[in-house]
Amino acid sequence: MKKIMNLYILFFLMLFLVALFRPYAFFYGLQRGSLYSLVALPLALILGIVGLLNLAHGDLLTLGLYLGYILFNQLRFDPIFSVIVIAPILFIIGFVVYKLTIERVLKSHHLNLLLITFGVSITLVEFINLLWTSRPRNVYVPYATKSINIFGINVGAYEFLYIAASIGVLLLIVFILKKTRFGQAAFAVGQNPKGAAIVGINVKLVYTITFSLATAMIAIAASLMIPRVSIFPHLGGPFTMRSFCLTAMAGLGNLPGIVLSGITLGLAEAIVQSIPGYSGWSDLVFFGVLILVIALKGYRRAVR
Amino acid sequence: MRKLSFIIGAVIFAVFLPTFADMYLIHVASSIMIFMCLALSWDMMLRTGQLSFGTAGFFGLGAYAAIIAVDDFSVSPVMSIFIGAIFAALIALGLGVAVLRLREMYFAITTLALTSVFMVLARNLSNLTGGAAGKILFHAIFDGDPKKIYWLILSFAIVVIALSEVFERTRIKYAISSIRNDELVAKSCGINIFKYLLFVFIITSAIQGAAGAIYAQQYAFVEPESTFSSNFLLLPVAMALVGGIYSTPGPIVGAIVLGFASEYLKLLMPYGHLIIYGIIIILTIIFLRKGVYGTILDKVRSK
Repeated sequence: MKKIMNLYILFFLMLFLVALFRPYAFFYGLQRGSLYSLVALPLALILGIVGLLNLAHGDLLTLGLYLGYILFNQLRFDPIFSVIVIAPILFIIGFVVYKLTIERVLKSHHLNLLLITFGVSITLVEFINLLWTSRPRNVYVPYATKSINIFGINVGAYEFLYIAASIGVLLLIVFILKKTRFGQAAFAVGQNPKGAAIVGINVKLVYTITFSLATAMIAIAASLMIPRVSIFPHLGGPFTMRSFCLTAMAGLGNLPGIVLSGITLGLAEAIVQSIPGYSGWSDLVFFGVLILVIALKGYRRAVR
Repeated sequence: MRKLSFIIGAVIFAVFLPTFADMYLIHVASSIMIFMCLALSWDMMLRTGQLSFGTAGFFGLGAYAAIIAVDDFSVSPVMSIFIGAIFAALIALGLGVAVLRLREMYFAITTLALTSVFMVLARNLSNLTGGAAGKILFHAIFDGDPKKIYWLILSFAIVVIALSEVFERTRIKYAISSIRNDELVAKSCGINIFKYLLFVFIITSAIQGAAGAIYAQQYAFVEPESTFSSNFLLLPVAMALVGGIYSTPGPIVGAIVLGFASEYLKLLMPYGHLIIYGIIIILTIIFLRKGVYGTILDKVRSK
């Protein structure tokens, strides 16, 4: 318990220091980091309960973005409210993907699980490529480009929604897991599938619903991102990687840790970007940390 | 005996192919053999039970090392292939010490991330690698003579196939299959798991590096996006899966089948023909666990 307290103190100290010395990087990193954790939370949910690393996670996000783009373009649907439409569609897509592919190999070797999500990821990317070509698409809404002035610094106002949304989704997941009947069943399945089956939980159903629900949650991130990104087919790949990176850093089952590590890495990325001449290196922050964290964890396990 | 004569016949056919085939076929055969080597190297790593997504990364490393060796240090192009292989092997040695402590998805995603790291390095170390624009040589290897390039790639492919057979027939096979099936048992039989994994990782990375070097010398240029392209991961994986994993003939059969199929598909649908590979990966994992070669072998044996 004391260790966790120390971590929190360290985290807020870091926030304060960054805000003091690099205010632009502070706001930018806070916003980006929240977005990363917003995308990472559903992945962590699937990883924690189904025990499956979904390599197609980011590509489902891309699909959600394209759906939002079409809604905006054809029906003039406001991006933020398009979540109402995208979430059910993604829920169905997640359900279909799970039933058609993943469920059939769930019992076999773990390599098959990874390979099949890899196959799903490729299929999704190329499907998007085929349908909408690789031309980048943009959505413009006036409210998304407004900026506000905080202590003499101009920062984008729209991006603060990311922070609110990531905390909101975190609370939603924790609420579902702790308070609802389904959530408690899912929690039990995540801890011990065999034991859960013995006490009469329908493990198959829990896996299906968890996967579909987590896929539907990607819609929240997608609908918020629509006005602020160029949408292209390969957008999702780095997000899968970053999401896994955050999950690995926080440790399995540590949902608040994902938001904290997301913000930490977002800040680190923003600081690297703010150094003149080194902005191209910012992509390395995530991968460097990923390799470092995983290697350290693996090393510790090996030593033990 | 029939098997041996078949192999000798296939090798003779492959050696004399350029004397009667047209340029297009030679070119297609060369690129299929490059991918065949990648598929074999990926499968060799998989035989230890470790799923590596780093194929494209080491491929690109070898390509960059070879091009830089020729351009900046005026090494001869043939020597540069060895340099590409050695460079990839050295990096694999350094990284393997840390990465090979990982298992399952942690290993897979870390190797996937390594590819991105190499790409970012290649893009940003612009003094050495030419940055985002890449590097172009004035002359391709053998002045771009497709027949000589074909023979070079063929001899490389034969070396890789022989290596894969060594892995299948010597005591290494028993070590790596026991690691794949149960690490605890392997450990208690006195197998040094880490040593074997590192050995296989270095060998496969060297193969990937050499393949990258040959590919880069053939086209005489490197560029971050296309050299580290995910094609060099996706196609070998699909080929090995289709042919059948954990064997030497599997990836070879898969590479030949998918290689010719992809040439046809490219003409049929210029955009997004890769979707077929994704679907093939999914379908083979669900329905054809042993791949085409393994299924045929089972059918023949049961008769």
